[in-house]
Amino acid sequence: MGEAIIQFLETWSPLDVVLIAQNFDRFLLGALVTLQLTGLALLIGGALAVPLAIIRAGKNPYLNAPVWAFTYTFRGTPLLVQTYLIYYGLGQFEAVRESFLWGPILSQAWWCALIAFSLNTAAYTTELLRGAIVTTSRGEVEAALACGFSAAQRMRRIVLPSAFRRALPAYSNEVIFMLHGSVVASTITIQDLLGVGRWLNGRYYLAYEGFITAAVLYLIIVLIISRGFRWWESRWLRHLYPQNAVETKPKKGLASFRF
Amino acid sequence: MGEAADDQAALEVHDLHKSFGDHEVIRGVSLAAHKGDVISILGASGSGKSTFLRCINLLETPTAGEVYIAGEKIRMHTRGGRYQPEDIHQVERLRAKLGMVFQSFNLWSHMTVIENVIEAPIHVLKVPKAEAIEQAEALLQKVGIYERKDYYPLQLSGGQQQRVAIARGLAMQPEVMLFDEPTSALDPELIGEVLKVMRDLAEEGRTMLVVTHEMGFARDVSNKVVFLHEGLVEEQGDPKEIFTNPNSDRFRQFLSRTNQ
Repeated sequence: MGEAIIQFLETWSPLDVVLIAQNFDRFLLGALVTLQLTGLALLIGGALAVPLAIIRAGKNPYLNAPVWAFTYTFRGTPLLVQTYLIYYGLGQFEAVRESFLWGPILSQAWWCALIAFSLNTAAYTTELLRGAIVTTSRGEVEAALACGFSAAQRMRRIVLPSAFRRALPAYSNEVIFMLHGSVVASTITIQDLLGVGRWLNGRYYLAYEGFITAAVLYLIIVLIISRGFRWWESRWLRHLYPQNAVETKPKKGLASFRF
Repeated sequence: MGEAADDQAALEVHDLHKSFGDHEVIRGVSLAAHKGDVISILGASGSGKSTFLRCINLLETPTAGEVYIAGEKIRMHTRGGRYQPEDIHQVERLRAKLGMVFQSFNLWSHMTVIENVIEAPIHVLKVPKAEAIEQAEALLQKVGIYERKDYYPLQLSGGQQQRVAIARGLAMQPEVMLFDEPTSALDPELIGEVLKVMRDLAEEGRTMLVVTHEMGFARDVSNKVVFLHEGLVEEQGDPKEIFTNPNSDRFRQFLSRTNQ
């Protein structure tokens, strides 16, 4: 039976399914690298973005200007160029090559990709969060002022929790863009998901097999991510949906809310 | 007048001025609230009554004048040509002694009702959480909204939200409650429930400063009425006297207009 299926596929399938199946573990490993790079970049970039967004939302020109320059540069240039500059560019400088960071980090493609991705997503997330921070309801901030909250408490207890929630739908786009952007890693020798597709193509001259498999796996990952965000939004944003105000059951009632 | 510390008024304001650019909105207003006073501040829109209230807890920075809260003066100085608080931590500490209720409720929308009420006691007054919750539940019972304690503000009607906001203010155990047009944003049928809560507070002996358009409340509940006109006190006194026998023509006109 199995034999017959394989024969059928080998003869009639427009795609070389058997070749894909034989290399499927490579694709899964590639997907793992993609997820790892994207996930870590999002974590590092997100951690950078919070303080930077607070600075950008503030009024101190000496802090604001350099952060603005950073986000403007990283949002204004392609991720591919940023990655090349870090991976190929830094090595031109002798000081970099001789520094202790060269061996373990800056000469490694994986680290260079991680640095580029982190800075890139940090720039986008900073501006996204800045927007959410500055649009926090003036009245809610005044209520915190009137209660005697300090500036740090207002930021931590009122502004950021509210801003994070309102930024969530836009941030889910940033996560998906970052995932897609991570294909850049495959251009600097990293065997990420697209990298495996390229390898298959290079080895067998079968473009469809490699790239369609990669595309389908990207699609599945995006599907899971957007599902996850939808769930997260239904929990975190339920306070924004009055939904028939008075008679709705609290908490549980809105958890299944669909967008 | 300036010796607030001696007779310990809960709140005393001395010769307060506030300008926005060239326009002077408050042109020297003084006021003292003793424990148990319920003072209604009346005035046409643009008379500066809300601005005056917001200057008391420095949501607006006055351009001149002094504010004493429970006998303690908010220290102000002039820096870079601007009159401003000397010590922001003192301002924060004194703000915590005033409960403020806003026209548009201003509840923290990402927190449930009970979270709104316990937030400031826990983080500003450093009350232990269990105690804050116990206290908040009692306050929510008092304003009649305990059943909705796990709702989010936007799931409530305006009247319900305003009652939560009152509970949030009370949770600070304030010296004085400030009300900035608490019923102006409400549908007419919801005004009553909020006024009832405020009436109960007055009967309990709470010290309250109420900027309002509710003439019934001013006349029946407050023991003092201040009528502002173009940033000055035009008339003030016992509501029973000045409502029946106003000294100023402007207050008379104001009354006849609002009675229609």
